[in-house]
Amino acid sequence: MTGELRRIDMTVNGRARAIDVLPHHTLLEVLRDDLGLTGTKECCLVGECGACTVLVDDVSVDSCLMLGVEADGASITTVEGLAFGERLHPLQQAFLDTGAAQCGFCIPGQLVSAAALLAETPHPTRAEIEEGLAGNLCRCGGYEQIIEAVAAAAAAGDHPGRAASTGHAGVPAVGDRASTPDAELAPQ
Amino acid sequence: MHAFAYERPRNLADALGLLTDLGTEARPLAGGTDLIIRIRDGSIRPRTVVDIKGVAELERGIREDDDHLTIGARTVMTDLLRDERIRRDYAALAEAAAVVGSAQIRNRATLAGNICNASPAADTAPALLAYGARVVAVGPSGSRVIPLDAFFVRSGVTTLAAGELVSAIELPHPSTPRGSVHVRRTRRRGHDLASVTLACTVDADGTTRIAYGSLGPRPLLVVDETGVLADPAATDDAREARLAALFTDATPSPRSMRASPEYRLAMLRVLGLRALRTAVERLGTGGRPS
Amino acid sequence: MTVVGSSPARVGGVERVTGGQAYVADIRLEDTLHIKLVTLDVARARIGAIDTRAACDVPGVRLVMTTADLPQPMPRFGPQRRDRPVLAVDETKYHGDPVAAVAADSRDAAEEAARLVRVEFEELPAVHTLAAALAQDAPLVQDPALRPKDPQAETNVLHEHRHSWGDSDAAEREAEVVVEGTYTFPMVTQFAIEPHAFMAAPDGDGIAVWSAIQHPNWLQRVIADLLQLPLAKVRVHAPDPGGAFGGKQHAKYEPLLAFMALATGRPVKLVLSLEETFQAVRRGAAGVHVRTGFRRDGTLVFRDLEADYLIGAYADIADRTVAKGSYTSMGPYRCPAVRIVARSVLSHTVPSTAFRGFGNPQQIWAVESNMDEAARTLDIDPLELRLRNLARKGEAFIPGDTPADGDWAQAVERAAELIGWRTPPPAGRGRGLAVGLKSGPTTGLSYSTVRLLVDGSVIVSAGTSDMGQGARTIFAQIAADELGAPIEWVTVVMGDTAVVPYDQQTSASRSSVFMGNSILSACRDIQAKLRAMAARLESVDEEDILVTRGEVRIDERVLPIRDVLSRGLGRLGGELIGVGEMRKDAEPDHPLGGTAAFYEFNCTAVEVEVDRETGDISIPWYVTVSDVGKALNPLQVRGQDEGAAVMGLGHTLMEHYIYDDAGRIRNLGAIDYRIPTSMDLPLRMDSDIIENADGPGPYGSKGMSEGALLPVAPAVASAVRDATGLSIRNLPLTPERVWRALRDASG
Repeated sequence: MTGELRRIDMTVNGRARAIDVLPHHTLLEVLRDDLGLTGTKECCLVGECGACTVLVDDVSVDSCLMLGVEADGASITTVEGLAFGERLHPLQQAFLDTGAAQCGFCIPGQLVSAAALLAETPHPTRAEIEEGLAGNLCRCGGYEQIIEAVAAAAAAGDHPGRAASTGHAGVPAVGDRASTPDAELAPQ
Repeated sequence: MHAFAYERPRNLADALGLLTDLGTEARPLAGGTDLIIRIRDGSIRPRTVVDIKGVAELERGIREDDDHLTIGARTVMTDLLRDERIRRDYAALAEAAAVVGSAQIRNRATLAGNICNASPAADTAPALLAYGARVVAVGPSGSRVIPLDAFFVRSGVTTLAAGELVSAIELPHPSTPRGSVHVRRTRRRGHDLASVTLACTVDADGTTRIAYGSLGPRPLLVVDETGVLADPAATDDAREARLAALFTDATPSPRSMRASPEYRLAMLRVLGLRALRTAVERLGTGGRPS
Repeated sequence: MTVVGSSPARVGGVERVTGGQAYVADIRLEDTLHIKLVTLDVARARIGAIDTRAACDVPGVRLVMTTADLPQPMPRFGPQRRDRPVLAVDETKYHGDPVAAVAADSRDAAEEAARLVRVEFEELPAVHTLAAALAQDAPLVQDPALRPKDPQAETNVLHEHRHSWGDSDAAEREAEVVVEGTYTFPMVTQFAIEPHAFMAAPDGDGIAVWSAIQHPNWLQRVIADLLQLPLAKVRVHAPDPGGAFGGKQHAKYEPLLAFMALATGRPVKLVLSLEETFQAVRRGAAGVHVRTGFRRDGTLVFRDLEADYLIGAYADIADRTVAKGSYTSMGPYRCPAVRIVARSVLSHTVPSTAFRGFGNPQQIWAVESNMDEAARTLDIDPLELRLRNLARKGEAFIPGDTPADGDWAQAVERAAELIGWRTPPPAGRGRGLAVGLKSGPTTGLSYSTVRLLVDGSVIVSAGTSDMGQGARTIFAQIAADELGAPIEWVTVVMGDTAVVPYDQQTSASRSSVFMGNSILSACRDIQAKLRAMAARLESVDEEDILVTRGEVRIDERVLPIRDVLSRGLGRLGGELIGVGEMRKDAEPDHPLGGTAAFYEFNCTAVEVEVDRETGDISIPWYVTVSDVGKALNPLQVRGQDEGAAVMGLGHTLMEHYIYDDAGRIRNLGAIDYRIPTSMDLPLRMDSDIIENADGPGPYGSKGMSEGALLPVAPAVASAVRDATGLSIRNLPLTPERVWRALRDASG
């Protein structure tokens, strides 16, 4: 029936979440509005700009093109789940070091895409970084400093790899490990 | 987006049953990279979205069968461009899958969905046509095989019957060594919709197949059996003349925002020649990208 | 070791990389109503009856606002002309002009209801090109009755600006070579990654407004005026924008939201879609005719320029961009005779507004292309032609205005050196260069307060908008150095008119200079108080005490500020408060209302390869050099300059609005409006800066961040000219455009 809430169970940033969502709400809307995880951004809503990029079962996707209900049973990582407690993810630190974040609006998507890229290709060439981030638009910075940050993080090594959604390399997800405590469920 | 219902059938019988019962009020959902955009822009307003990703009989993966590869309906572009067999024997398809969109899009977009959406500019279509792909369709009255060339009708329209789903795409094994390539024209180097998208295969027996999209309501396949195009010693003039004769059905839309008909037709010729050169080269190096 | 001149981590950087940075769309208030605009899918229409019944029946809808719910006559606003209505009255004037707005408990309900609002309308003839807007019988965009004394009121020419000096007729006779051409610059949009978002809420007996507005105090005045409230009862919260580039300078839908908040008694929130953002802000398009006279040796003799800027349906700040942009269109050169005529031409299109460069990129595209064509005609190296004519530092190259304030030739030489100008490029490549000049702010007023707390930590309050240029960081750096605090001990408070003192605006690259100086002067105020304190504590005359960056010096003794402070504040504790101000008053007789506080200057040099079969331009090498006075934060300066370069490549190679014959925009949204991605970069980019500490800002800095955008297009076109011999005078240089030019040239 149109408009009926569906219960979905997913893991978000290592934490089990069970919520009721409307079928026509995208994963982006569910993350931002229902779970209060506003780090993932809304921009083009047609899968071109990448501001809404999240990891679904370790794979980068545009969350604006995925329905929330499709995420039932999945493990989601958003920008809020990259850091480990107070310790920044190597990519986050690299972005700070190279000055990659200017206005910052594209940065959550860039970071998640970069994390997926490095998990798949731990030592990407410059061309591979450019292509890997080509689905993430930036209007402030001209991309150079973002690319340098990804290259620096790659050179420093130590990437969570396929365990991205379960925490840093070798650290299993147990309970709540998000760096930013997930907001309480917002009422529909 | 407007409110709609969501179903996630677990098997094909249920999926087909739903689609038959709901008819045009329902749309199948695979990767969502086309469907969600069209729902959001209001061009379609389904009452129910039927998610086929839970259907047990629809596979994700590429299977070896006797004389063909079977690409399951849930296979995404990322799977294709990483598969060793696709890269080796169907290079044009791997190349096309790599440019369908960004990594985020490729991780979700299915090959089956790309052909069902039937955009004239679909990047995988020319490669599939050149490779003689076949569509396996399943419906209430059973399953049938449709040659891809008989699948596309025009923009957004295929010969899938009401209540049918694509369950797989078959790629016949090449019978002779061949070189192949995919090329296209876009407005920027970053991901873009193509204003010309083209795949070319050249067989060791001298047959050349060129398929192209975005120059008319559906992608088209032309075949040259004269051997002129496959001949490395042929003159540019001879090749151009042959291509001109083959490309007479190209009818680019005058209403396009991306490129004018004149430019598209000119680029069809340029890309045709460049693709030929590369395909012939690749044939010479054993049928794989050098 | 000073923090200024180094590149400490961006203040606000951690929030940006952890998803903690709160942009307007991320801010939640209890009981917020969501707003959806109702617009018509036509360029221009007479509005008839509006039936809201079906919309009102949607569960959760609280208000469908139409003109009937607003004061009569319709309140209007706008920074230059009060011409923009809160909602369209009688007529919509551009594709996207809102006629109504729905407020509902959920976004779903608001969207559904907006679709159900029935508007009767009659499509009217519309103009969306210069030719159509200037035609004899063109439909008028604005009611002539709005400007009764204007002789141009019966046309779509909003304003004509004329600047001239010297004797152009005599100069014409002296010129040995005359080069002329007509150039066009397309309509493009800012496309900040953050679409515009706004909130408003009743706040006691006043109102609070949230907007990523670059000018919070200006918005405060607009709202106070429209709602007839005292300024002190209007609170503007201005979170850091997710990119702005000028498109968030002036009020857009804040007034509408303010009325809706008061009507419903609840907070209201509007987040525009990207498509709606493209319909809200853009740059003025332009057609520019340049005619330049030279002596055979390349010396400039005269320049005539006629520019028509296609602005939108409401003036916004567009006419100012025409005034300011055209004013410097003789370029950074010595030119004895100049005649400039520039017109703002109204059209039934998106109201154009400020956009990085502020009217300059359009004329620089023409002027620098003209210089490049002249170089070829004169058979003089384009580099030499610039060096021969560049104004020297201190030269009054614009009579009555600020003299050239930098060693611009040095920037040009540096760019030439970086790209190896004097050695031939590799085979198959063309090479080109161009320069760009923009005058900085002509007036300005920035207040700030700095509080030095008892433990030596610091709070800076400054009303600048940090939209990515890193204002917050450099303000922290200045306070850290001046007061001897580690930068981690400095908090910068911005974006709240109730808490932060007045700042006129964030525009024209002014903030390092204006707010920077204001903060510097607040710090000096504190240093003076510290000196008095030290004199009292040490029983020494004040004139024997020097308080400088972080230290108090008495004879040979050097005491850290913190020590003096804690002893001086004594048992009661407290803090020292410094107030700072930088002001540049208007000069009413000046054509722009004031002289330039500084200039931005950039030289860009480029190598290109052109695929002659497809028209593709690729850029193997890109060099950009800006004259910045002093890089307060070199990493941020580089980020801004390279960002400006890539943004410039956007309008150079791919960006443009596409309209249909009926004046509707066809390419709304990200699929068909293309901007550069990470795969569209030059193969190699080198950016550098010239630092001669010759600017009016702190430590000799000047404003920067627009300069590197100015000459991108003519530099690339110059390289294309070198590679192919083609002069293409219309942007963007898409592959198809280049292909056509190649084909037409070969006959």
